[in-house]
Amino acid sequence: MFPFLKIMLRNLLLGPSTDAFPFAPAKTHENFRGCAVFDPEKCILCGICHHVCAAGAIQLRPSEDGAGMQYLLWHNSCVFCGMCAHYCPTGALTMSNNWHLAHTGAEMFSNCISSFIPFGECAQCGAKIQPRPQAIIDKLGVRSPERFLLCPQCKRQSIVRNVAQVRSTRRQENP
Amino acid sequence: MSTTTYTLPIGPLHVALEEPMYFDIQVEGETVRSVELAAGHVHRGMEALAMQRNYFQNVTLTERVCSLCSNSHPATYCMAVENLSGLLVPERAKYLRVIADEVKRIASHLFNVGIMAHLTGFDSLFMHAMEIREIMQDAKEGVYGNRMNLGQCIIGGCRRDIDEATAPFLLGQLELLKPQLDELYGVFERDPLIRTRTQGIGLLPFEEAKRHAVVGPVARASGVAYDVRRKAPYAVYADLDFETQSDTKGDVHSRALLRLREAVQSVKIIEQCLRQIPSGPINVREVPVIPAGEAVARSEAPRGEVFYYVRSDGTDTPQRLKWRVPTYMNWEALQVMLANCQVADIALIVNSIDPCISCTER
Repeated sequence: MFPFLKIMLRNLLLGPSTDAFPFAPAKTHENFRGCAVFDPEKCILCGICHHVCAAGAIQLRPSEDGAGMQYLLWHNSCVFCGMCAHYCPTGALTMSNNWHLAHTGAEMFSNCISSFIPFGECAQCGAKIQPRPQAIIDKLGVRSPERFLLCPQCKRQSIVRNVAQVRSTRRQENP
Repeated sequence: MSTTTYTLPIGPLHVALEEPMYFDIQVEGETVRSVELAAGHVHRGMEALAMQRNYFQNVTLTERVCSLCSNSHPATYCMAVENLSGLLVPERAKYLRVIADEVKRIASHLFNVGIMAHLTGFDSLFMHAMEIREIMQDAKEGVYGNRMNLGQCIIGGCRRDIDEATAPFLLGQLELLKPQLDELYGVFERDPLIRTRTQGIGLLPFEEAKRHAVVGPVARASGVAYDVRRKAPYAVYADLDFETQSDTKGDVHSRALLRLREAVQSVKIIEQCLRQIPSGPINVREVPVIPAGEAVARSEAPRGEVFYYVRSDGTDTPQRLKWRVPTYMNWEALQVMLANCQVADIALIVNSIDPCISCTER
């Protein structure tokens, strides 16, 4: 007659199914998408994280002396979509499973990731280029390690020199 | 103004409505004579926002249109953009999208039938339905990283793979869910309290369903077996074995039972997907080129057909992004369902179309 009575009794015997938080830790999955973590050592200032961020939580501000960029990620604006971490080519941005973001009102304007990322220098002419941290040289610069450290202009010149060299060798071989 | 009828305003903030909607109801005694609907209380201007954001940002934006169909929106949006750019989604990503869609469908349907129990005053059943839904919420959190916004779809595929660690976890959750879902169906089918409150009210006959072009479970419970997954299969639905559920009674009770049966079918679909899923890449790595032009896409959200239109002028921001959601058609049919019903049943009938006001007004 009342099919639910059996279930209700069973649920009563099973006891509460809620976590005892905040008196006991709440269960958090390893995969949980919590607050973003930034590793300035890996950032190459490509700006894709800023481009895909729908919430406008990521800001890149050039420093006044032109030595680098101030990288800012505001946790209170972040919607934890994880698009920045997905598109980050170097793994500088990752999503942790930390969701403990409660803070006092006084901390509202300091609750952010703020890091100064200095520009790299062209190995040849010393012009400012995007940073070239070692982790990135190992990952992306393996194809032509010397050229990876050059500014666009020196890179072009180096390529032209290489091409010219190949042509002159060929000419010498087949005159 | 006659002396026998009076106007009963319900909403926009009302204990029995989950979302803000205003009903101007003409009542004679305890009986509803006519209904006027007024919407616009949660309008956030999302279509205008979409025109100010680039294609990548809009994936996140459309995911936040509505929390219960938060996978259908970005998935359909991505389908529309992929249609426009001619991008081919890898086979594995299509399976992953179907899995995400069906996981969301189970959770959404369980939420709706739970609320129905709550509106009949049967709160212990409501809690129980929500507890069963929690199995799916846990699955979402463990596999995708969030209880509501899965963040699974991106233009060109999916973000989170289901690997050796998460596949057994998801299957385990489904094993937990299956007996509970069957038991819950039995309760909703047989419980005299539920049956007395919900059978024979909110009737939507076949002809009226056709006339109002209702979609989703509302249409299927009235005998219109219309399911986009079968009528215009997208992703990998053509290769999957499942039955489109339909009923002919068209009352509140049959709509709730239909949703539970669909949840059972969704479990079947996920299990098939996990068995059949091919290995390979889960997204295309290159950045898509989106040419000028327009494209559409549609899919079956938990509430029915959701339709996306995108127009591009070749820049990185859509010139227009427009979507039509199932509740838009379904809420007009409320005028038929609410006709001559009792005042006490209004909330139950409104809930039976599973209205999603935040989708519709966006």
